[in-house]
Amino acid sequence: MFPSPGSWVRVVARLFRPRRTIRPTREGWWLLLAAVGLGFAAMNTGNNLLYLLVSMLLGLIVVSGLLSERSMRGLTIGLRTPDELFANRPALFSATLVNRKRWASSYSLTIEVVRPEGPPRLVYVPRLPPGQEHVFSWEETLSRRGRQRLPGIRITTLFPFGLFLKAGRALLESEVVVYPPVGAIPATLLADLGQGATAARRPGRGSDLYNLREYRWGDDPRLIHWRSTAKAGSPMVRELEAEATLDTRIVLEGAGAGARLEAGLSVAASLVIHLIRLGASVELAAPGAWVRLGAGRPHERRLLTALALYDPAPSRHMATPPRASGLPLREIRVQLA
Amino acid sequence: MTAALAFRVAAYLLALDGLLALHLAGLLGVMGTALAAATIAVSWWQDRQRIPGLSRLRWAMTVLIAATSAVDLLYLAASLLDGFVRLLLVLLLYRLFTRRSLRDARDVGFLAFFMLVAASSVTFDITFLGIFLVFLVLGVWAFMLHHVLSEAERVGGPGALAVTNRGGLGPTLLGLALVASATTLAVTGVFFFIIPRVGQAALPLRAKLGAMVSGFSDRVELGAFGEIESDPSVVMRVRFPEGPALPEMLPNLRWRGIAFDHFDGRSWKALRPQRSTLTRGAGGQFELRRYRGVGPFVTQEIYLEPIGSDIVFAAPRLLAVGLSAASITVDDMDSVSVAIPSARLRYVAYSELEPGGRGGRNVEPPAPLDPDSRQRYLQLPPLPPRIEELARKVSVGSGGPYDTALRLTRFLAGTYHYTLALSRRTDLEPIEEFLFVRRSGNCEYFASALAVMLRSIGIAARLVNGFQRGEWNPYGRYLMIRERDAHSWVEAYIDGVGWMTLDPSPRVPRASTGVDRIGLYLDSLRLRWYRYVVNWSLRDQVTVAAALQRQTSTWRERLLAAHAAGDLSRLGPPAAALIGTLVVGFVLWRQRGVRATRPLARVPRFYERALRVLARRDLRPGQGETAREFLARVSAAAPACARPLSRVTAGYERARFGAMSLPAGDLAELESCVAQLERPPSR
Repeated sequence: MFPSPGSWVRVVARLFRPRRTIRPTREGWWLLLAAVGLGFAAMNTGNNLLYLLVSMLLGLIVVSGLLSERSMRGLTIGLRTPDELFANRPALFSATLVNRKRWASSYSLTIEVVRPEGPPRLVYVPRLPPGQEHVFSWEETLSRRGRQRLPGIRITTLFPFGLFLKAGRALLESEVVVYPPVGAIPATLLADLGQGATAARRPGRGSDLYNLREYRWGDDPRLIHWRSTAKAGSPMVRELEAEATLDTRIVLEGAGAGARLEAGLSVAASLVIHLIRLGASVELAAPGAWVRLGAGRPHERRLLTALALYDPAPSRHMATPPRASGLPLREIRVQLA
Repeated sequence: MTAALAFRVAAYLLALDGLLALHLAGLLGVMGTALAAATIAVSWWQDRQRIPGLSRLRWAMTVLIAATSAVDLLYLAASLLDGFVRLLLVLLLYRLFTRRSLRDARDVGFLAFFMLVAASSVTFDITFLGIFLVFLVLGVWAFMLHHVLSEAERVGGPGALAVTNRGGLGPTLLGLALVASATTLAVTGVFFFIIPRVGQAALPLRAKLGAMVSGFSDRVELGAFGEIESDPSVVMRVRFPEGPALPEMLPNLRWRGIAFDHFDGRSWKALRPQRSTLTRGAGGQFELRRYRGVGPFVTQEIYLEPIGSDIVFAAPRLLAVGLSAASITVDDMDSVSVAIPSARLRYVAYSELEPGGRGGRNVEPPAPLDPDSRQRYLQLPPLPPRIEELARKVSVGSGGPYDTALRLTRFLAGTYHYTLALSRRTDLEPIEEFLFVRRSGNCEYFASALAVMLRSIGIAARLVNGFQRGEWNPYGRYLMIRERDAHSWVEAYIDGVGWMTLDPSPRVPRASTGVDRIGLYLDSLRLRWYRYVVNWSLRDQVTVAAALQRQTSTWRERLLAAHAAGDLSRLGPPAAALIGTLVVGFVLWRQRGVRATRPLARVPRFYERALRVLARRDLRPGQGETAREFLARVSAAAPACARPLSRVTAGYERARFGAMSLPAGDLAELESCVAQLERPPSR
């Protein structure tokens, strides 16, 4: 199977796409204009000293290109994004610029962090010696939930004379998932949280005693039950009962849109975080989406990702969750419409 | 020195460099230069003191300068260039006095550049090269400083603080500026030599005429050379590009300039020269007469300093001349002149030298002089009869005009003394005083006396001014002719022989020129400046291109011959050198690796392993948790891991933040600590 002609064109175009763009600054335009004017004068007078001055201007242009290229070559940049990104909440991003050249320093680099909105953030690095790195960080607030493409980082330089702006391609145009904004849980829902379903006994992080067992490496020493240890002759620990009454199914209802939908998802996300951090297991059910019951930080991320990417469609029906354990769950309904 | 101060210094030095360019080009006098320099110095002080209210007058000053400059350019300035120079000066000072931002200081650099442009149109001196090089280095440095300061100002942040507060890139930037200057100079050289000189000199330059050298105008007072005969300034350099092998041994070399036909007792004039304009011949040269095959044929490449005269000097008998002008002027006394000053700076003359020694016979076709010409070359002012009597007395018994001329020449050369002390002692006519009282003089007196004596006894004669041979420069293999080599001699017309040269001056060779080897070497550099920069032409470019083509053809033929003979081994070394150079160049171009001695600040492997081991126990560093905080948390959760992790953390901090590679022994110990983390001792 051969690629279509269109894809060949794209491949060839990519091969020939310049790695950097060069644009004269105002001083650069003046210099070019002076070179042309003096060249014209030199041709018309035959004065070799004018040719010498024109050659100097052209030499400056060439050396400017050589030195700026030397400065831009051998640079790598790595981006570190936060593990969790919430809409409307500032998040700290960081990037590391590394000069991988053996001998040559890079001079006068400007790192442009392109922003979804507003002017780019600028970081100026006067000099980056060979083999060294420059770490910089910045805060960014993303306003929308969902999958978003970060606009990326661009390295530019006006080095050495400020005549031409040489800019590399935008790098690190990575995708991130932005969770819905989280905030205070409405009072009505907090009231619902108090009405638990039937307790299910299983080990967890509750306060009631579930069991006594032998100490295993990694157990919290504070849970050692000294009296049983003395009796058994080996370390025994208390095993606590999980707060099973908090296990919850969050049900998203309605096919809302706009601000109402976003507010509902924000409430759901806040609930997820609240419950998971209390040690509860949470299940999510919504039209076209279901996340099984689970607990812990990884599960929290699964739930938040589902909420972040949630796209209600009117035709979708509520997913019917399978019952793995058969245990009854408390249900909290969040209206999206 | 902070970057801002360095930039200010560079801008002021550029301004002074531009000022010096104007001065050396003669566009600004000594007083003007001193005044401008003092004003520039005041502007430095004013910048510190900040005279209040000056910046408020900015607009008013701008309007005033614009109006004044317009009036100056249109009505007052002697030439557009003069007006332009004054405008540049005013703008420069205005910028320095009202300098507020980086942009203003940058404008000072641009104005200084245009001062060099102005100077380049009127000077060809090698001092321009010095000014140019200084400007190049200072300009590159200033450009770089302006750039980093502008960027720091634009972007702000810690990087900007590094530049503005600590001087940031100070010494580094200066070194880099020197490297960039050297590279720019090399690239400039390449551009200079390859840019095709296709243009024609349609806009004539106001080239500097130079100070008028005495003795080369249409009227010359006796004793005019006396002023310059002790001046060692070089006025002309003559190369012999086509031989002979030992040009310094050529006999009888003189550089003929202008001839005079009328003598009034005190001065010589070219009274009735019949001038004609000569256009370029088919060979691209101005053909004057044909080669007769009697004397040696010599090609001279002549570099003439601006001497304030339009005369074209060359060795007699001049056959043809090649110079960059549409036409030349030739008079009926064989003087050649060209009106365009730049055309005289370098030209090529083709001459057939006179055979024999001093006073050798000229083999001009012996066409008898017509009566008018005869009368013209026999003209004399009223002179005391004893001059004619002396001439007749010397020539008694001679075998004809030719013999008479030689006798008179030998008489003067042998009887009278050469001196530069030309003070008058009597009220007699100058020639009479020379012949009968002082009995000594310079070449003008000898030549004038001979011409007068010849004319007095009926032999047509004229006075010729030019230069004698000059000093040989072994470094550049050319003759240096100085002002003090200015010389006068006589041409006499002998029936059946034609014009013959007679030189009665008993000039003794100078004992010492006072120019040491370094001086000669520096002068040879000056010649190269004229040869390869000031006078680089399309013809030179074609010559170099043809030489390169010939060389390439030679290599190609060698390659083909070696291929045909099946012996490519002798081409091995150059080919290997070429390939080696390409490979080294490619490796240097790539340069993507990181030097081992300068490790990147990355997470060491032993610490990564330790983190993996702990992660298996659900112990992971949290977001934003430092290594020590993580150690504290792990120590609380798993006390058995505390000790080995403590050592691993210390090693990590040394490697990660200490910018050093850990010794092998330490690394082995840390690895054993990681192993302990995998198998913690049971409690």
